[in-house]
Amino acid sequence: MTGYLVRRTGQMVLTLFLIITFTFFLVQAQPGDYASFYVLNPDLPPEVKDEIRAAFGLDKPAWQQYLIHLKNTFTGNLGVSFGNFPRPVLDVLAERVPRTLVLFLTATAVSFYIGFFLGKAMAWRRGGLFEYATTISGALLFTAFTPAFGLMMIWAFAFKLGWFPVGKFLDPLVWRGADVSANYVFGNMLLSAAAFIAFALLVMLFLKRFGRRVPSVAAFPIVLGGALVIAAAWALSGIGGLALDIVKHMVLPVATLTLVSFAGTMLLTRNSMLETIREDYVMAARAKGLPDKLVRDRHAARNAMLPIVTSLVYSLIFAIDGSVIIESVFSWPGTGLTLLQAVRSEDLPLVMGAMLFIGVLSLLAHVIVDVLYVYLDPRIRYQ
Amino acid sequence: MRLSGRFAFCGLLLALSLLPGCTSQPDVGETPAATPTAPSEAETEKVYRIGIASDLTTTNHWAYLGPDGTIWNGYVLGGSKPALYAYSAQRYDWVPSLAADFPTPLEEEVVEGETFWTTEVELLEGVKWSDGSDVTAEDFAFTANTAAEMQLTGNWPSIVDPEFFDHAETDGPHRLKIFFKQKPGLARWQFGLAFMPIFSKAYWEPVVAEARQAGDTTEQQKVLFAHVPEGEPSAGGFIFDQWERGAFAEKDENPAYSFAGTEVALYASGAYSATTPGLTEFTAYGEPGGEKVLEYVEGPNAASTIYSIYGSQDAAVLALKKGDIDFMLNPLGLSKGLQEQLAGEDGLTTIENASDGLRYLGFNFRKAPMDNRAFRQAVATLIDKEFLVDTVLQGVAIPIYTMVPEGNGAWYNADVPLIGKGLNRQERVSRAVELLKEAGFTWETEPRVSEDGNFIEQQGEGLRMPNGEPVPAMQVLAPSAGYDPLRSTFAIWIERWLSEVGIPLRANLTGFNVIVEKVFDQQDFDMWILGWGLNPFPDYLESFFHSRHSELEGYNAGGYNNPDFDRLADGLLSETDLAAARQQVFEMQAFLAEDLPYVVLFDTPIVETYRSERIDFPYTETWGGLQSVAGMPTLVDFR
Repeated sequence: MTGYLVRRTGQMVLTLFLIITFTFFLVQAQPGDYASFYVLNPDLPPEVKDEIRAAFGLDKPAWQQYLIHLKNTFTGNLGVSFGNFPRPVLDVLAERVPRTLVLFLTATAVSFYIGFFLGKAMAWRRGGLFEYATTISGALLFTAFTPAFGLMMIWAFAFKLGWFPVGKFLDPLVWRGADVSANYVFGNMLLSAAAFIAFALLVMLFLKRFGRRVPSVAAFPIVLGGALVIAAAWALSGIGGLALDIVKHMVLPVATLTLVSFAGTMLLTRNSMLETIREDYVMAARAKGLPDKLVRDRHAARNAMLPIVTSLVYSLIFAIDGSVIIESVFSWPGTGLTLLQAVRSEDLPLVMGAMLFIGVLSLLAHVIVDVLYVYLDPRIRYQ
Repeated sequence: MRLSGRFAFCGLLLALSLLPGCTSQPDVGETPAATPTAPSEAETEKVYRIGIASDLTTTNHWAYLGPDGTIWNGYVLGGSKPALYAYSAQRYDWVPSLAADFPTPLEEEVVEGETFWTTEVELLEGVKWSDGSDVTAEDFAFTANTAAEMQLTGNWPSIVDPEFFDHAETDGPHRLKIFFKQKPGLARWQFGLAFMPIFSKAYWEPVVAEARQAGDTTEQQKVLFAHVPEGEPSAGGFIFDQWERGAFAEKDENPAYSFAGTEVALYASGAYSATTPGLTEFTAYGEPGGEKVLEYVEGPNAASTIYSIYGSQDAAVLALKKGDIDFMLNPLGLSKGLQEQLAGEDGLTTIENASDGLRYLGFNFRKAPMDNRAFRQAVATLIDKEFLVDTVLQGVAIPIYTMVPEGNGAWYNADVPLIGKGLNRQERVSRAVELLKEAGFTWETEPRVSEDGNFIEQQGEGLRMPNGEPVPAMQVLAPSAGYDPLRSTFAIWIERWLSEVGIPLRANLTGFNVIVEKVFDQQDFDMWILGWGLNPFPDYLESFFHSRHSELEGYNAGGYNNPDFDRLADGLLSETDLAAARQQVFEMQAFLAEDLPYVVLFDTPIVETYRSERIDFPYTETWGGLQSVAGMPTLVDFR
């Protein structure tokens, strides 16, 4: 395993180098540069435009810019964003990542849960009306044109019914005079989620070890109690109202993302389950007279999870990349929207920084999935 | 992993997760004492809510006028700094703001063997920063001298031009003396330096001192631009209060605003008057009296202005329809589709103004036959702007003939040659053929129009230039329909009309950046169609057409080179008298309308919508729309 990881690390560095190179020249191939922005101001003499180019390092030939960029990247310096001059790229990304994480992790978790639950049920009740109805509706939503669907959701639920806000991630009238920044609240929301997951895992492990003495039905109230403690902590923190405002703004984008993406997990689960329930050990479990629910959830679904977990890990990692479309439609200023604006304005360092970030995370995702495979399926061994 | 190991891992994760909750917020100081609650009706009553479609990139005004010169920064940050002079509302008269009166005439003066052009300005006494301190001549001198000394880039050189400005001195707290290296014209002084936003010396001096320690001027600028102002005093109607990145920015009313309650009046006679109780009474351009064409009282009437940031115009329009915002700022106004979305909505009012821009067809004078005046006039004759605008484009644009749009009343010359205006198709073709023939162009097959004048019976073929060479195949670069359907439509029709008379032209509809690169950076083109956003003072005529700007990346990308025009342009740049400058601008417009380095095509009105059931403006007719005055935060009132 160690040898495998070393080899994979080497491959990752090489792939990363190719990603940086490809992205750099792709962005360079666009006509014009950041200084073109100033061409529309006739009051500026060309020499000032040249000065601006020099200040951003755009006066050097492309290959020289590339070498400087390569050196900076591998020494941890992503440079200064042109569009947010003189703010470092890392600073801009650090500001946007928590917002994307909160939105997309929530949406991924919700859509994964719904997709897995429905897929499991579909495979178990194959051929019924339920399967046809969920497959058709899931496929329809899966193929919906996301920008139009997002706008329709806003029009229906925000504009016509007035249940939710029209985009954005907070209401300025609620946040006026707030002593904290939105990122502080986003950060604490992520920490609360992590705390809750850790607590739930602790409870599960506790029950697994002492299950004979503590009835398993106690799990739900304990976990619920943990959730209530976290909710109480928020209520007493003085920023609960702000978090609630963010949650209110999250409902529509999360619902949109869930509706357009749950079908992927659902169909994957269904297919995987269909293969698993034909296995001998499932038949043996049935033959033993175990309850249907137990056979489905403990024997079939758990073994069918391997490809689904892989898909989930990828989804979680790519959540950081965000979605250009969803963030644009819902005015959610995360990494996706930042990347789009950077590409439009030819803010080269920010584009490269965002792409590098996404590249590193996707490479890491592949390694994590490889390692997870070994953990989840003891039959797999890497040489 | 053994079970006990998993316990330890989860326990550690839980502990780590809870740990930050016990600490204070890292980036904004203290943990809040109380959660802000949803606002009451009364609380939001006097909040002016504006939607913008892009985030700010800085709150540092030096950076905004430097490398962060976005229009969105301008909308939010503008209006907080005083300036010596300003434009009057609607008419764009040049009027004093912080200055007590007009400056003394420029004089040549020798100081320690060096020759300068100097002028003196008396400042109003009693104008305050929001922290209660006086706005003084020291503030102006500090700002201008800093910009010059640090060689600030971006838009700064167009304000403090290092080729003209030398330094500024004070003579007491309210008297300024400005030293120029050479005699500055209106563009450099009255409409340049005199409009410079003035920074508080007390606040910025330590920051500038720190920046000076940073090394060369590039490093100094970085330090200056990187400073995030906190508690910076304002001399405008509002004080910058809060910026939640990606979400909103807020400015609060400045209770110490010295110009609050100023009564401004513009008269039909051309007179202007402004009276600020306890501060100043000023009149100019004639004796006030007779019919008033505009009258208003300076606010602010709003307790605060909130700029909500949306990811797209569509989202902002929905917010406007829903009532979340009162007005949305966009430099281009509302597109046709969005106008239709808002049409007929209760509580909203849509207004239309002439925009501060124009679209044009430009020629490359380095190539034949574009360097031939008759050829350009023939092209202009063949372009039926009225037909395109009225019939094809359904009236969404306004045909124009001069380089100063009509909306810029102070500088617009209505009396210019209107080449081709009012002619029908047959007359246009006949006139174009006549012009080309007179200039020595010949055809193998001359174009012929049908008797009823509705179609071309015989297309022109084999057009040859006066030297006998065939007219080469040419391209007109124009933005694609996705970027601008109006300009692409014009390009397609121009191709058709020119081809009919035998001018081999093909419309190349391409990306905006491609056109900019080919035209301005490489100068590798035949003709192009683009547009310009324009300032009220039309010194851009010099920038676009003086031969000195025809080098690579210069604004005279077509390489227009006419000594007669250069003389006029030089005259405008060195002119210090407003009336004389106006006369020169009129002459330049007439000259250009005949010589045609550009065929000016059309302008589009700027359409904007505001929530009239909640807010009201003292006037809505203004060149460039309400966005050109940032949505009038100090004048808006509430119903």
